[in-house]
Amino acid sequence: MAMKWLALVAVVFTGALLIYGVSDFPDWGSADSPANGGIEGAGRSVSQTFIQETKPLTHVPNMVTAVLADYRGYDTMFETVVVFAAGMAIFAVLRVLKTVDGQHSRVIRDRSVDGDHQRIIVGTTCKILIPVIQMFALYVVAHGHHSPGGGFQGGVILGASFILLGLSDGMETAMERLSEGKFVAMAAIGVLIYAGIGLLSQFVGRDFLDYGALQPLLGTPDEGWARSHAMLGVEVGVTFTVTAIMFAIYVNLASKGELKGGL
Amino acid sequence: MVENFNIIILVLLVVTAVISLQVKDLLSASMIFGIYSFLICLLWAEMGAVDVAFTEAAVGAGVSAVFLIATVFNTKRKSSD
Amino acid sequence: MDQAGIITIISVALIALGLLFFLGAAIGLFRFPDFYARMHAAGKGDTLSSLLVVLGFAVYQLHDFDFTFSTLEFNLQSWKAWMFHGDGLIILIVLKLIAICAFIMITSPTCTHALMDAGWEDGIEPELKEKGANALAKDIDG
Repeated sequence: MAMKWLALVAVVFTGALLIYGVSDFPDWGSADSPANGGIEGAGRSVSQTFIQETKPLTHVPNMVTAVLADYRGYDTMFETVVVFAAGMAIFAVLRVLKTVDGQHSRVIRDRSVDGDHQRIIVGTTCKILIPVIQMFALYVVAHGHHSPGGGFQGGVILGASFILLGLSDGMETAMERLSEGKFVAMAAIGVLIYAGIGLLSQFVGRDFLDYGALQPLLGTPDEGWARSHAMLGVEVGVTFTVTAIMFAIYVNLASKGELKGGL
Repeated sequence: MVENFNIIILVLLVVTAVISLQVKDLLSASMIFGIYSFLICLLWAEMGAVDVAFTEAAVGAGVSAVFLIATVFNTKRKSSD
Repeated sequence: MDQAGIITIISVALIALGLLFFLGAAIGLFRFPDFYARMHAAGKGDTLSSLLVVLGFAVYQLHDFDFTFSTLEFNLQSWKAWMFHGDGLIILIVLKLIAICAFIMITSPTCTHALMDAGWEDGIEPELKEKGANALAKDIDG
């Protein structure tokens, strides 16, 4: 009970701090706010700059992707690292390495019993749906330059397709497709791809994650296309990590870290 | 009209947030949390932030509901407070 | 009546019908006596009404569609212009909506089935005329 009151005090205190912080914001729709170009000497606003410069400089029609993967590349890289770290934390907390053989904490339901319609109907539907979901996930990743989408969304959808397989056909089936070693490696490889592209542009002689430096390596007509292609590479890295970590979190949570049985 | 739509969604958001905190059955709480995610996804899509709405639909309503239900399945179903 | 008017009437009729079925599903969900009857109302009403509403959206997209194909000629140039800058884009949206319809048609009944099956495994008794453990078996047999 005391904890509850303590929590209430903490929440009220934090809320009051946030509301106090709001008083420093520019007014609603104010012309003086940085977003609307109010800073003297700046010439034009932040949003205007992105709207005008993104397309000619990076050849990416979807500004959000360009801002996410290029202008804000550090932020997105560490978001990916956070996802990776969350997955590793789940492993550290939940994964049980030593189990006495044949002694699971839960009775695994025998799904092969005759007349188990659940398995037939749901399994067949998932068999139809999972390829479509995976295709859609890859489309979301690859088409992120032109439409809403990108590494995070595509990765989550791809991970969800494996989770769906685990839910419908049993965790063993899903783990055959994406075993523990594979998804741990995938998660690490994703972060490596992202940081590797950043380091590559550093080796060429420019700043970390300055994709324009990759132009001679990629052989593109100008720096904009190099940035566009490097963004796709970065998104692929994010997809690797997010897919693997989503599936890792699910299998650990669903089986209490034993990676057997499942829901 | 669009402002009214926003306000309706915002009111429903507050209602679902309070219900998901108040309800004793944790499975119901996680389902209502999924509804909350869908509502906020709707709000973002309606405000034009399609990328964020897409992420919220995939992560909040899709995968995190599964995580929560998997957790409830392996722990107690009743909330103690 | 011009094309836009007819299209609007068809799409509004489809969406209104869908909303009507939604209302039926919602009333059924609250008024039916037991779990299975409620799921039946929700499953069937939901599938049909979502289908109708999405089909209504698909029809509405044809608002500016040129059904006479007056700009389309039998050469690659005109075909490309039609596909990527003209009415082909509308067809693309309609196809996407129809694909959504197909997925609703596959997933929604499966979902209902899975929920019903989970309820049955959990031991929820259907409401029958005759009470008792074997009442359902008797009901099915005779």
